[in-house]
Amino acid sequence: MTRVIEVPSHFDDRSFDSFAEGFKDWPPEEKLLLDARSTQWASPYGLIGILTAGQALAEARREKPLLTVPISDDVKRYWARAGFFQQAAELFELHGKVPRATTTGPSDVLLDVTPVRASEDVHSVVDKISEGASRILHGELGLEMKATLRFSMALSEACQNIVEHAGTGGWVAVQAYTFRRRLGRRVVVIAVSDAGIGFRRSLESTHAKRFGERWGDGAALEAALIQGVSRFRDPGRGQGLAFIKRFLDQWEGKISIRSGTARLAIIPPWDEDVPLTDRLPYFPGAQVQIIIPAQQAEAR
Amino acid sequence: MIQTISIGHLLREAVAAPYRNLVTRPTGAAVRTRIEETLARSNCRTAMLDFTGIELVDLSCADEVVAKLLLAARNACFFVLQGLREDHHEAIDHVLTHHRLAVAAVPPGSREPRLLGWVRSDAREAFACLCEQGPLGVGGLSGSLGWLESRSREALMELTLHRLVHPIGELYHPVPTV
Repeated sequence: MTRVIEVPSHFDDRSFDSFAEGFKDWPPEEKLLLDARSTQWASPYGLIGILTAGQALAEARREKPLLTVPISDDVKRYWARAGFFQQAAELFELHGKVPRATTTGPSDVLLDVTPVRASEDVHSVVDKISEGASRILHGELGLEMKATLRFSMALSEACQNIVEHAGTGGWVAVQAYTFRRRLGRRVVVIAVSDAGIGFRRSLESTHAKRFGERWGDGAALEAALIQGVSRFRDPGRGQGLAFIKRFLDQWEGKISIRSGTARLAIIPPWDEDVPLTDRLPYFPGAQVQIIIPAQQAEAR
Repeated sequence: MIQTISIGHLLREAVAAPYRNLVTRPTGAAVRTRIEETLARSNCRTAMLDFTGIELVDLSCADEVVAKLLLAARNACFFVLQGLREDHHEAIDHVLTHHRLAVAAVPPGSREPRLLGWVRSDAREAFACLCEQGPLGVGGLSGSLGWLESRSREALMELTLHRLVHPIGELYHPVPTV
């Protein structure tokens, strides 16, 4: 028997939970079909979320899932341009015509959907992003020049979390687009996702005792993002997220991390999200999203 | 004696690729190991770590290279950073402050070092005074800054502990930068 999981028509961090809910218990026993035929748009977070599901199923040695590609040619072309299908072909049996990825001039895709499995991948990601990041962050979003380096540092630290904590590989994608509904401004979005052990298991042996009965996915996220703890005893660890938080505060940016059944976010004034949400449908690993908005004229 | 160590050169050796970004902990640890090996073969008292040509220093590498080197070498040689661009300072300053460490950095085209990391404001002021005026004793520093001797002594003690000044006899010499 095959279970159908619908990919939301507008697939981003907000609709992610309905996608996660489709899987019920992990890992699902039945063969899965991820149905993206009606999908009209997907953020980088959504795209790498699909890949993370495929990766988690492969690592759980489940039957290769099916993925039906969007009907819309525009959507398909965009997913191809973002490098999604190239990665998805390894994890899914793709159904539907997949266009060839084409690159013509500067694009809003700053970094294709890229696997992160080892430190060398982080080097490649940082090398690849530098030129495009400066064009978008300084040229389009009006951020100061040094923002490019901070952005690259944030990207590097977020990707290293996969290599150091997940216990498996993951994915990263970076894209610029206009946040019409929530903000009405251009944003750059970094999305990083892995199918690994998640924050709770990563921190459990060193920090669970301190939290007592409160320990869970939400408490683990709080420990990592708010208190800056790490599973390593090395006192130099745990600074990456603290640094990202500091500069996002300066730029009115947002970071949210979903792991297991909880999601924690640092909320800028323009967003109406809630800081901590728990009892969400379980999803493997950890998903990080960093949003940097265009600076308003008076702030420049 | 000062030994200059090119971080860019060690980075390329460590990753066996023409990368210009000092990122990731394994890369930082590999670069630090090479610095330590170089220093073990040398009898220099001051190591000038030259960041010329490095595009990005992330927090992990700032921690692995600079902070851990300072922590490990507390009683060995003096370290000075050079070739750092203004935008490199942030990561290094952040991790050193976290560890309550400090290092002198000489900006490109300048001989005047600035302090990155964590020192009290008196120590920072005393360091600037020594760099401007040259070696001073407790009395000389007090005279220059209008401080009580106890205050000067405390500031110089802190700079000595951070290995930012070198006491020779009664005089405190700022860490050499040329």
